[in-house]
Amino acid sequence: MSDYLLKINGISASYGDEDIVKSVSFSMLPGEIVCIVGESGSGKSTLIKAIHGMSDLKITGGNIVFDGTDITSLPAKDRRKLMGSGIGLIPQNPGASFNPIRKLDVQFRESLAAHDMPFDENRIDDMLRIIGLQHGKSVLKNRPFELSGGMNQRIAIAAAMMFEPRLLLCDEATSALDVTTAGAVVEELLKIRKTNGTSILLVTHHLGIARKMADNIGIMKDGRLIEYGSTDKIFDSPENEYTKKLIRDVPRLKK
Amino acid sequence: MIVLSGRDLNKEYISRDRKVRPLQHVDFDLHQGEILGIVGESGSGKSTLLKVISGIEKPDSGMLYHLDKEYTGSKPEKTGKFLQMIFQDAYGSFDPKMNMEKSLKEGTASDRNEIVRVIGEVGLSEDLLDRRPRHLSGGQCQRMSIARALLSHADVLLCDEITSALDVTTQAQVIKLLMEIRDMENVSIILVSHDLALVSMICDRIMVMKDGVVVEEGKTEDVINKPSDEYTRKLLNSIIAV
Amino acid sequence: MLAPNDPYATNSSLIRQAPSAAYLFGTDNLGRCVLSRVLVGARTTIASTFFLVAVSFLIGIIIGMLCGFYGGIVDDILMRVADLMLAFPQMVVAIAVAGILGGGLGGAMIALGITMWTSFARLARSHTLSIKNEPYITAARLQGKSGLQIMMTHIMPNILEPVLINALTQIGTTMIGISGLSFLGLGVVAPQAEWGSMISEARAYIQIAPWAVLFPAAATVITIVVFNYLGDAVMEYRKAE
Repeated sequence: MSDYLLKINGISASYGDEDIVKSVSFSMLPGEIVCIVGESGSGKSTLIKAIHGMSDLKITGGNIVFDGTDITSLPAKDRRKLMGSGIGLIPQNPGASFNPIRKLDVQFRESLAAHDMPFDENRIDDMLRIIGLQHGKSVLKNRPFELSGGMNQRIAIAAAMMFEPRLLLCDEATSALDVTTAGAVVEELLKIRKTNGTSILLVTHHLGIARKMADNIGIMKDGRLIEYGSTDKIFDSPENEYTKKLIRDVPRLKK
Repeated sequence: MIVLSGRDLNKEYISRDRKVRPLQHVDFDLHQGEILGIVGESGSGKSTLLKVISGIEKPDSGMLYHLDKEYTGSKPEKTGKFLQMIFQDAYGSFDPKMNMEKSLKEGTASDRNEIVRVIGEVGLSEDLLDRRPRHLSGGQCQRMSIARALLSHADVLLCDEITSALDVTTQAQVIKLLMEIRDMENVSIILVSHDLALVSMICDRIMVMKDGVVVEEGKTEDVINKPSDEYTRKLLNSIIAV
Repeated sequence: MLAPNDPYATNSSLIRQAPSAAYLFGTDNLGRCVLSRVLVGARTTIASTFFLVAVSFLIGIIIGMLCGFYGGIVDDILMRVADLMLAFPQMVVAIAVAGILGGGLGGAMIALGITMWTSFARLARSHTLSIKNEPYITAARLQGKSGLQIMMTHIMPNILEPVLINALTQIGTTMIGISGLSFLGLGVVAPQAEWGSMISEARAYIQIAPWAVLFPAAATVITIVVFNYLGDAVMEYRKAE
């Protein structure tokens, strides 16, 4: 039981009256990649927010256990300690996670200092090289608005990786990117898992990405996890009608 | 028969001290009743091309023809007689303060019966006519804008990433609808998209654009199976298939 | 109508009477009922304020829409004129203009209106700019609608609310403007009742009959506060939606 890195037990969450996430349960092993697939309004992003915990979302039921500790209603102070080195987040819109008009190295320095970690330029440089940015030091002299969306997204991944989190949460990490860039980001995420043994929980509407990355896939609809299973099982023998429809409706290259 | 064509279209402007050339010597032909796909990533010039074709923007040079009649430089008020646009932002393409009936009536002399017939054709029911865009789903809104285009009796529909804001299941329905109305109403369609797989499913011919240049053009089967351009191959390879 | 006494009737036997049951707000230097004059003055002050704000609003929103929608040289010229107006404090311009035009309510309103339309025009212009590239405007053009039609049917209804709310919040300052000019003798002329001019007249004997100043001043303050709160409340309500 304590083998699980993340265990979600019947979690429900809401912003107001109605639950947006409705008693969702699943668990993740260290080094495992899980993709939660759903359409807009399925509650998949809210699920990520519930795990990340840094928002005004209200947990109305169930609990979340990370590495043996119940983190469901951790006070903000303890949670902040956990963020970064324990749980990292790559948000949907990378532009929103940086201040657009401040130089990146200043922002890196500050967030590292907030976690009592040293600012080591060479380490950052290495990290940026891993995710495919060759001239890390000069890139960091830029301000986010001067860089492309793909570049910012890569830097956001690097920023999250800097703390060597054991669990990386990705909220539609590729949906704002061009197809060729999205492909590269997917490759980089896979590489990170391989080299660091990071667990990745990725929320997406893109079934192709889920198939390529995930060990296990969960399908969400109207706040519920309606199907959960290994990637092969979901694609080869889906049980739920909605899952079947989702898989059928994905555009496929007509040869 | 060629419904719409463009010859040697060029467009450039200065953005943040850098010269951007979204269109460089672009030629295209749209045949009667076909669906032409234009594929490219952001910055490829595909959206600029639609703006130039529709008259929203003027090309710096080049010619545009509708049924052999030149219309280069015509404003949307004129081009709207033979072409209509469907936008990526379905909600934004309707006045938030107007109900659907009013919006649909704007460009047509059709009476309510005709409007009800056409929205039935796009798979919507009459009671939605009283609603404002905010009270429709994204898919319903996009169907409404297709209905609006049909009501104005245009020969050509220009579709700009019309499904990229929609869910997968809704996208499939809208794409199916596009093929149906092509057959029923005999319109010709230009479909701009970043999704090569999607385009391959419904387009007769495909144009691939990169940095304002048409790098490849041909029948869908040829472009997909025997791509001649390096970039097309890269695009094909980066599709993360299911 | 509501006034208990004739606001213009002078009575030499009732000069500067303190507030009493018959004259709730007392009487002024000429024995006129202050309450009646405050009530009648309300009509002058509030009506002229509303009229002035409404006219400036109309002129401003039309100019703003034209500038925002068409852009170009007309936009440049009109906006530079607006900048010029904003460069001077509104009251200074108003005093100068009212001085040139001579006294009178009409003159005071023109003097204030000359600068007031600019704020509406700027606001209308910026809102027009932000919606004129929305797909529904393009769609309307493709439906063959002319610029004027689009402005009336699509742009006006969509920018009306923010500009109207701005107009509400301007009522207070406009009222101060009109009363202020009247106080300086550049607005309403005696014997017509208006709060500013009443304060101005009664100021001379404020130590003997403070009520003649106090009540019109209180009326002015309360009305301005009420309209400012109204504007804020509407703005909050809109935000909450």
